[in-house]
Amino acid sequence: MKRYIYYSIPLGIMWCFVHGTINIENFLLGSVLGIIVIRPFRELYHFEEELSFKRAIGKIPNQIHYFMVLIVEIIKASIMVAKIVLSPKMDIKPGIIAVPLRTKTSGGITAIANTITLTPGTLTIDVADDRSVLYVHSIDASDPESIRKSIRDDLEKFVLEAFE
Amino acid sequence: MSFIDTALNVLSNVVLLLGLFFVFVGMIGLLRLPDVYNRLHATTKVATLGAFGVMSSIVLNVGFTPIGIKAITVGLFLLLTAPVASHMIGRAAKRHGVELCEESVIDEYIISGETD
Repeated sequence: MKRYIYYSIPLGIMWCFVHGTINIENFLLGSVLGIIVIRPFRELYHFEEELSFKRAIGKIPNQIHYFMVLIVEIIKASIMVAKIVLSPKMDIKPGIIAVPLRTKTSGGITAIANTITLTPGTLTIDVADDRSVLYVHSIDASDPESIRKSIRDDLEKFVLEAFE
Repeated sequence: MSFIDTALNVLSNVVLLLGLFFVFVGMIGLLRLPDVYNRLHATTKVATLGAFGVMSSIVLNVGFTPIGIKAITVGLFLLLTAPVASHMIGRAAKRHGVELCEESVIDEYIISGETD
């Protein structure tokens, strides 16, 4: 029961946002509906894992930092693609690169894949069955090694801090 | 009308124009880029930022009223769902054997087992 309450809090907050007015009645209604929603999708939530409020709250500063980095990267990515699209002579060297992964959890891989898609010049295509490699399409794949390095050192670090 | 209201109004219009510009660039990219994967670059990143800009402009214009809060929610969901959609399109295209365009320099993709 404690777990149901724990997981229904974010759903209650989300209900407030979708409704548009943030008050305690909406929050409670959303939380109750959240419990009903969580029940059939129990397998998606990690009921077997030990949960701790302290750990979840401790991650919040890292997650805010991660979102700041993400927004800046999205703006850089858009300007880069806009330049390519608007240049009269299109000069691109696209290709698919295999990028090794360190994280093994579903949440971490999802976060990394989404981050890669939203950052400059790269787009996640697929993940290998054993979850060790991501296939990334890059709009400028003339130097695969540097792309692997930038994903490993810059992005994966933030994602590991925020979601592991 | 106070100074802050005017400033917010101007800022909202500027953000709206920027957002529309990025949506426009995204659509040009969709037409000009050579293959499905490169086109996904244009629609996912540029058009998402454009739509996010339009939502931010609504928030700047109406403030934290119910409409503004809904706009924030829509913007966040766009940021969350656009990568998933592009990922599924790219994966399906690659598995159905859509080739990369001629300019491509590298292809390290290995199709894994049929199950999943």
